[in-house]
Amino acid sequence: MENVHENKINSVGQQKKSKWSQILKEKWLYFMILPGLAYFIIFKYVPMWGIIIAFQDYSPFLGVWQSQWVGLEHFQYFFSNPDFLRLLRNTFILALYDLVFFFPAPIILSLMLNEIRLSAYKRTLQTFVYVPHFMSWVIIASISYVFLTTGGGLVNDLIARFIGTEVNFLSSPEWFRPMIIGQIIWKETGWGTVIFLAALASVDQEQYEAAIVDGAGRFRRLWHVTLPGLRSTIVILLILRLGNFLDTGFQQIYLMSNSLNRSVADVFDTYVYFVGITEGAFSYSTAVGLFKSIVGIVLIVGADRFAKKLGQSGLF
Amino acid sequence: MKSKFLRYLLMGLFVVGILVVTGCSDNSDTAGSDSGDSGSEQTDESSEERMHLRVFAPTFTTEPPTDDSPVLKKIEDYTNKKITMEWAPNSNIDDKFNITLSSGDLPHVMMVPGKSPSFVSAVEDGAFWELGSYLEEYPNLSQANEIIMNNSSINGDIYGIPRTRDLGRNGVIIRKDWLENLSLEKPETIDDFYNMLKAFSEEDPDGNGTDDTYGMVVSKYEGPWDVMQTWFGVPNKWGEDESGELYPFFMDDNYLESLNFFKKLYDEGLVNDDFAVMDPAQWSDPVISGEAGVQVNVLDEGHRIQEKIIDANPDNADPITVIKTVEGPTGLHNLPTSGYSGMLSVSKTSVKSEEELKQVLDFLDKMNDEEAQKLAENGIEGKHYEKVDGEYQSKVKDDPALQAEVDGFNQMLMYIPEAKSIKPDSSPLRELETQLKVENEDIVVANPAESYISEVYSKKGQQLDNIILDARIKYIVGQIDEAGLEDAVERWKSSGGTEYIEEINQLHQDAQ
Repeated sequence: MENVHENKINSVGQQKKSKWSQILKEKWLYFMILPGLAYFIIFKYVPMWGIIIAFQDYSPFLGVWQSQWVGLEHFQYFFSNPDFLRLLRNTFILALYDLVFFFPAPIILSLMLNEIRLSAYKRTLQTFVYVPHFMSWVIIASISYVFLTTGGGLVNDLIARFIGTEVNFLSSPEWFRPMIIGQIIWKETGWGTVIFLAALASVDQEQYEAAIVDGAGRFRRLWHVTLPGLRSTIVILLILRLGNFLDTGFQQIYLMSNSLNRSVADVFDTYVYFVGITEGAFSYSTAVGLFKSIVGIVLIVGADRFAKKLGQSGLF
Repeated sequence: MKSKFLRYLLMGLFVVGILVVTGCSDNSDTAGSDSGDSGSEQTDESSEERMHLRVFAPTFTTEPPTDDSPVLKKIEDYTNKKITMEWAPNSNIDDKFNITLSSGDLPHVMMVPGKSPSFVSAVEDGAFWELGSYLEEYPNLSQANEIIMNNSSINGDIYGIPRTRDLGRNGVIIRKDWLENLSLEKPETIDDFYNMLKAFSEEDPDGNGTDDTYGMVVSKYEGPWDVMQTWFGVPNKWGEDESGELYPFFMDDNYLESLNFFKKLYDEGLVNDDFAVMDPAQWSDPVISGEAGVQVNVLDEGHRIQEKIIDANPDNADPITVIKTVEGPTGLHNLPTSGYSGMLSVSKTSVKSEEELKQVLDFLDKMNDEEAQKLAENGIEGKHYEKVDGEYQSKVKDDPALQAEVDGFNQMLMYIPEAKSIKPDSSPLRELETQLKVENEDIVVANPAESYISEVYSKKGQQLDNIILDARIKYIVGQIDEAGLEDAVERWKSSGGTEYIEEINQLHQDAQ
């Protein structure tokens, strides 16, 4: 107790000096930071000043220096644009669906994998569920087309045999969101189990033994031991997910949208592409992208605070 | 002991880190200076005084010719220039073009994919030479087709030499063997056309006893609807009324009639019902495999389809025929193409002086000579092709290495005043296609607003177009009715369409 007290007094007086001397003492350790630091500055922070074009009337040929400064004009135009509400709605609903239906999927799957006793079987299964993750969206879009198209699609042939009519999965606005979420679940669930399985491996085996001694069955153990062991991982992944809440995955949406479902398929990502890249309105689309990032920051910080209030360890 | 080892390790890592960082900066330095004075520096003896040209062009293959291709050497000798090709995949040429623009280091000659807003704004900012006043000095360039020149101009000013294409390229491709099986004639009117589709769907044109065919295949690509609506007298993008005012095509009286016709085709199953989602890359497959009998496409797709059908079934020797259009209530009409596919522009950042510009124009002019066209399109005689008894025989078809020496240089060709390269042996079908293209030029409907650059359109064009085009598809498949169509037009007007019409009319008046 006294010892600690003394140390404190000492450190207040020498704080500045000791900090530097400590750094000097461990200088080689600190040198190791440099490449990482350089990476972040060169590739992450320096390019960030490019968002300046969101406040300009940027012309690629004139470059950043000569383009005209217009302030918040692009933001005003965006928020007053009739498209804005539609885009916001479509993006939010898709993101919400994603959170509600996709986010729990890897958790459930990893819990199920965790219950498998035969480890050789478990490993093989794990490897197989990873496979869809490595397929590109182009391939998945083609597979979906082959399966779901009317007039010859496998799924629609089956449906027609049972119900009598075909379902326009690919071209009806009602089916667009379920189809997108279904594709994501198919593609990413297996891959998403990696982190949860790692967290599960670190759950103390003694707790299970104790629970068995206490007479807990499989579901009791799952509920009282496994899930609490996963809780902090789930919370952190949820917070991180909220940071990209508005990222709906450009490729997938772009590939699956067409004239008939565009009313629900237009999201911020595709809008930025159409307006920015194909029409060359770089400033405007940067402004839209910037708006999206700000929403992301707000959500991630908000979720972090919320998690801490609930007594969970957050990110920062 | 341990700490010493750690220390050396750290030092080693640090040195590596420094090397990486400085190494990077070194590279970019040399790269920068390279491109900076590449115009003046020449080590190649034979081309000491040749002007060095960098050419930005699209490639359709994954392995475009390299700069040491013998074909390129020949082209260099012929035009007396030193050429470096900068290839960009055609599939994302628009993106690549914009990125090159923003790099600030523009190649001397750039293939501009179209009059995109970024190109127009670059022109306004002085990135490219205005060429109109120079062209008359050059034997080939001065003979360019005026309609095409006007189409590719920006409000009348020429900022690029159009790579000219046939204006009357659109047509209808029909399974000839099916026509013969059902003893039908080629359709001449819209009613004939409808009856043919009906027969192709319902009367078992392939004679296999099962109901597995339909009339016409359409894909996600909306071109066929654009073509077919002109048959009904709908104008090409903009129509002109009696008082000289321009109005958009969907406000034409005949528009609804054409949509009702499309709807009828769809409702009766004469068109594939997944057309709105079908990948355009598979558009021709149903015709080749004998599921669909008709495709409204560019005429030259006819012989490509024909060759594939014959490949699969050599007994079916003459399965395809083509027609240019069918007669509607207001006569014979067809939709023209813009008459060019991108243009070759000369950048002001690399070409600094008028003397240099004249050299570049001289190069572009020479690329229209017969010899240059043959080189760029066919390759070197004796190596890439040969003439046996006066007949052209390509040698690159079965030799990928040889093909990689030629394939792509034709992207630098403008075919002004006309294509002079050697065409492969023409079959009767190809001859028919060529003849129809010429005949088409008399009946194509010109777009009076083709050269006008609208500010509203450059900002909101995509959204405006989508409103109308999506409504058209929705109407065809029955998602909306006539009232929904009118709603779409109202939404188009309120989203900027009204200003767009005013602006186009203003430009039209100024141009008169």
